Amino acid sequence: MNSLRSDLRLAWELTRGSDRREWWRVALTATGAALATGFALAAVALAALRGSYSVPVAAGLLDEPGTRSGVIVGLLLLLVPVLGFLGQCARIGAVHRDRRLAGLRLAGATPWQVRRIAALETGLACLLGSAAATALSVLVLLREWDRPTALAWVGIALVAVAVPVLGAVAGALALRRVVASPLGWVRRVRPHDGRGPGLLFLAGVLLVAVLALVTVATTSTAASNRPNGGPPLMMMGVVLVVGAGAVWLSGATAKATGRILAPRARSAATLIAAERLRDDPWSAARTHAAVLLVTLVGTGFMSIRQVLSDVVHSKRYLAENASYYTTGLDLTGAAVAVAFAITLSGLAVGTAESLATRRRGLAAQAAAGVPHPVLGRALLLETALPLAPAVLLSGLGGTTIGAWYALLNDRPVPWAIALVPVAAYAACLLAAATSLPLLRRSVRPGELRYA
Amino acid sequence: MIAMSTRHILLGLLATGPSHGYDLKRRHDERFPQARPLAYGQVYTTLQRLVRDGLAAVEGTDSDGGPERTTYRATDEGTRELSRWAGEIAPPAPFVANEIFAKVVVAILSGGDPAAYLSAQRAAHMERMRELTAVKAAKGADLATVLSADYALNHLDADLRWMSTTAARLTTLTAEVDAA
Amino acid sequence: MSRPVPLLSASGLTKTHGRTPALRGASVDLHAGEILAVTGASGSGKSTLLHCLAGIVRPDGGSVSYDGRRLEDLPEKRLSELRRTEFGVVFQFGQLIPELTALDNVALPLLLAGTDRARARVRAGEWLERFGVRGQEDLRPGEMSGGQAQRTALARALVTGPKVVFADEPTGALDSLAGEQVMTALLHTVRESGTAVLLITHDAQVAAYADREIQLRDGAVAPLGVTA
Repeated sequence: MNSLRSDLRLAWELTRGSDRREWWRVALTATGAALATGFALAAVALAALRGSYSVPVAAGLLDEPGTRSGVIVGLLLLLVPVLGFLGQCARIGAVHRDRRLAGLRLAGATPWQVRRIAALETGLACLLGSAAATALSVLVLLREWDRPTALAWVGIALVAVAVPVLGAVAGALALRRVVASPLGWVRRVRPHDGRGPGLLFLAGVLLVAVLALVTVATTSTAASNRPNGGPPLMMMGVVLVVGAGAVWLSGATAKATGRILAPRARSAATLIAAERLRDDPWSAARTHAAVLLVTLVGTGFMSIRQVLSDVVHSKRYLAENASYYTTGLDLTGAAVAVAFAITLSGLAVGTAESLATRRRGLAAQAAAGVPHPVLGRALLLETALPLAPAVLLSGLGGTTIGAWYALLNDRPVPWAIALVPVAAYAACLLAAATSLPLLRRSVRPGELRYA
Repeated sequence: MIAMSTRHILLGLLATGPSHGYDLKRRHDERFPQARPLAYGQVYTTLQRLVRDGLAAVEGTDSDGGPERTTYRATDEGTRELSRWAGEIAPPAPFVANEIFAKVVVAILSGGDPAAYLSAQRAAHMERMRELTAVKAAKGADLATVLSADYALNHLDADLRWMSTTAARLTTLTAEVDAA
Repeated sequence: MSRPVPLLSASGLTKTHGRTPALRGASVDLHAGEILAVTGASGSGKSTLLHCLAGIVRPDGGSVSYDGRRLEDLPEKRLSELRRTEFGVVFQFGQLIPELTALDNVALPLLLAGTDRARARVRAGEWLERFGVRGQEDLRPGEMSGGQAQRTALARALVTGPKVVFADEPTGALDSLAGEQVMTALLHTVRESGTAVLLITHDAQVAAYADREIQLRDGAVAPLGVTA
């Protein structure tokens, strides 16, 4: 216990003594953890309900187990972009932190101590977010629900503890190579092949998928005899398969884009961007994978929404009133929008981080007279180039899902949904562009003075 | 650089075959471009001492139409002595006191300006280093030239470093010298 | 000795980083084709002086003029263009783009100047050859030795035919033999092209490659020893 306390103090001192970027990491990690806790808590609270209730929110969507399980799956799926976001946050100051921890190893810390300190650093940030989110959720819950069941409380407690613990484990896992070779890590400046964090992300996606399946299996037993049970499950399967491939795909597209463009580049900006992609295609793979998924789901959803509301408004013999259906659609739409917003934040954080990591090199380029606009263009192209084929592909996938759904319901295919990927692409570029003001601040001659 | 044994260097030059005094001087100056050139008189007296000690012998005389010249060769004993000398370790850092340090101390004792002296000495050292660097970096400079210039440069550089640290610590040194 | 108007001239430069004064009234003249060494202890303001002279940093006070133009009057865009076309810079390390090959790194300034890629690569290849980096054109900076990387950086600094090269401890991260090769390559090239060099170093053996030396002490030029 004594050693844990001293590790805790060391972790705290290291965080406190580190520069502003570390604080950004803590703040953003806490935010991500809070989001994850919030979504998970809502899902747990809903899952604790058995049978039919009269829930005063969401136009009766939460009353029946069938639709409730749909909402739960939606909430759990929202965890996917959150995980992507957290993965991106973990990269902030990663090189710097890896060096610091490797320095601890060189100073005589045992591998376990280093792991524990790293785990504590991440775990504390997650604890902060999870505690805040739990407190808020419990308050909301007590207002909406007179007497939550014991099961709900157990679930809430589990989630509140699990988020920081999982965060700590992920923090320790991400360090395995630092721990293995302290010397190599101190010397190497650009360590990532990106697969490790990519695998973590995939593991997270799988975990969410399994949870979602379990939820569907346990809460919707009453509805399982309905003929509509098949398509949503199948659709989710499609989404997951595409998701698993998304990380790999976006990495591979980045690599291919770089390899094809680098020899043909005519301008300095394209050349720099293409060579960076070829050299490290995995750095942005996770966020780009999330963009891919969200674009896919978003495009598909827009089509389904179009078709469904068409059905709702044209048919006059519905089981429930129209607001029941439109609320469902709006909720899903909101979920997709939230997912997209989180993904865009991840993208912006990633661009800012890539800029911060390279600020010494960028300062040297600027000192040599490379104009700021060229550096800015290279930065944007790094996002724009690999994202183009990825978004195109996922847009096509989403349109296919949408068209298939429309044909299934004998409705005209709403071709306007093809605009969704275009809008998503534009939004991504805007998100990446938010770090351009940082470029001017990063490119300071002061950076030239230190190794 | 005369501390370096002229006897052994001449023996070394004779190792390639018999040679006369003027030729030996010319080859010495070529081979060791940064060293002080040998005076012919010095070559002559050194050769006579080598013969006296049995390390070299007179091979013969020729005139080639000009003045008569004596050709010398190394004896077996000379060859043995040469290989003994070549393998012998040179004593590291033979001098603890040097002229620059002595001048600094004297300047302090006599109420002079040691800092100004060090600064001027530094400038002179740098000037010599620039000359040597120009010789070394000239296009087509052979390796022997580069290496001998490097040898001198490294020694001058060592002096310079010593002068820099001394200049930075003159106040303490002055106090110490004056107290003694 | 009377000399023509200096190519680059600074007078009374002052610059403060936060609360630490880095330059306190430094004045320097650099003549066309001249190699000038700036030496001095760590923290004496050498790098800051170079940054001010190269137009990378704007000094708090004093004036820098290059070829009849006062740098403080130029907007950042023109300064950046000046650095790209008339100046070359070499730092201790880190100025090469890690993702680009040696050849593309050297070709980069030409690309920025609007030369097409194929022509830029040919010219870059010639410069790499002049600096003795042959057969390494396709290596990235991380795969090269320190000496090769610095010679590549020199080729990049000189490829546009600048009038002045600013070198901040160009051999600082190298062993003495690699440093000697870098300095010899630099010396031969600038002598041929008549490029002036402002060379910052703490190493007297590197400073000895210069025609002239100034010493910085506490942010100002120290008077050199009166030759005895």
